[in-house]
Amino acid sequence: MSILRHLQHWLSGQGPHLQTTEFVPETHPIRLWADTFPWEAMVEAVTPSFAQRFPKKRAKGGRVPVAPRMLLALELLKHELGESAEGICQRLRTDVAVMYACGIREVQAEGSTAYFVLPETLVQFRRRIDPDLMDTLVAIQSAAAMAEGLVSPAHLLIDTFPSEQGSQRVTDATTLYKAQKKPFISSSASAAGAPAPPRP
Amino acid sequence: MRGFGRQCRGQGKVFVKLVRQTERHLLDLGASIETWTPEAKDLLHQSPKLGEAQCQRLLRDLAAASDAHRQVVKQSQRLTQGKKLGQCKIVNAYDPTIAPIIKGKSNCPAQFGRKTGILSEPASGFLFAHRVPEGNPSDPSYVLPLLDQVQRAIDRVPSPKRFQVHSLGGDLGVNDSELRHALHTRGILTVGIPTTLEPINPQPSPDEVLDILNASGLNRLRTPHQVHLACASGYSRPVVESHIATVMARGAGEVRYKGLEGAVVQMGMTVMAHNGAVLVRIRQQRLSKRGQKFRRLLGLRCHNVNQINDSYF
Repeated sequence: MSILRHLQHWLSGQGPHLQTTEFVPETHPIRLWADTFPWEAMVEAVTPSFAQRFPKKRAKGGRVPVAPRMLLALELLKHELGESAEGICQRLRTDVAVMYACGIREVQAEGSTAYFVLPETLVQFRRRIDPDLMDTLVAIQSAAAMAEGLVSPAHLLIDTFPSEQGSQRVTDATTLYKAQKKPFISSSASAAGAPAPPRP
Repeated sequence: MRGFGRQCRGQGKVFVKLVRQTERHLLDLGASIETWTPEAKDLLHQSPKLGEAQCQRLLRDLAAASDAHRQVVKQSQRLTQGKKLGQCKIVNAYDPTIAPIIKGKSNCPAQFGRKTGILSEPASGFLFAHRVPEGNPSDPSYVLPLLDQVQRAIDRVPSPKRFQVHSLGGDLGVNDSELRHALHTRGILTVGIPTTLEPINPQPSPDEVLDILNASGLNRLRTPHQVHLACASGYSRPVVESHIATVMARGAGEVRYKGLEGAVVQMGMTVMAHNGAVLVRIRQQRLSKRGQKFRRLLGLRCHNVNQINDSYF
């Protein structure tokens, strides 16, 4: 319900009503994958960490920010599906399984809306994750799997592997620069049908 | 993997003249930053119009600019023709935390980049912890921080006493006497870490089990059954390469996010996405026969298909 509240300005269109839980098959790989994560505990770890490190007073009358649950799911899906930030944000708009993984249970969007979540929002979210928070998230996932009796840390193996420093085809800096230069590209379409003012 | 120098780790060609020309320009440009920095700090603190958050942001930017200049100065004093590339040498202009990997292969150029460490469960490939350190430290230095991460995860479980790390397996790279001692102190068997190139005996005799327990000083803490499992796990150590291959297939072979923090976030997210897929496989019982047997010996729960379906409603 809280996620729906966060997305009200996108999902309150005149389009057809869709229940993602009923629409996405129970055996769908993305659904099975998404159901393994302890989302509630992970969001509980993310929210205070961000609030403590980035205390920000939101202007009155502005839009409600995108839920951390959704951004966290998008970031994880990005690595699971091998997508770019733009690609996964577009899939969130069109792929119901991705909507399910992001915690959206009801959709009633309009065709004119270009994005539910802008790529630059995802980039900003990712930049706020620090190593301590990342360790906490992995620990939460491991603890949930252990509590469920699926894995055991009794016998472990260690190894290292090298990773080359590559380059993004579209870097975070490019995404943010594009957003500053042409804010109308990504938000004008959604603003046309939405009752709230466009995202600054 | 990118590398320096010719094959067999020889001396690479460095265009010193070109570097000198570039650095002179940068040094001239940033020469006055040392004198400006204190003045700018004073002015920022005195300015009444700036909010605290804005002031902090500007101070952070100023510190970053000063650090960048300091790095250029330091690097300009290090680059000397004919000298070997050191561990602390900058190999990426945008990220000074990247370093050449110390222990490389003898038949290829020195690798550089990030060296990620992982701690995985042999039966399923679930990754309990990962670490992306600054630079490229030696392999044994990864072990204890990774085990600390696992302990933090165990502490989060409602009944943490149920879970303990019994043994650790690794390759010859982590064969270190001090590390073995530290692991024995924590009650962890090190029979899975080889001392020679010979494979570990997967089925030790009762006498050998007793010797292992006595040598590690854990004969009151660990049981022969646990030693047998530790030997089997150590014998199956190469399976960790398949876990690495799966993580690599998710893009871990190339760090695309910027800086050390970016690398940590990318690896962390990749590890979590990988773990999600592993849990799906466990729930659907899509594991190898060896993995299933190992899970049975560990007393881990096996879900049947009806249980999986019920859990979603």
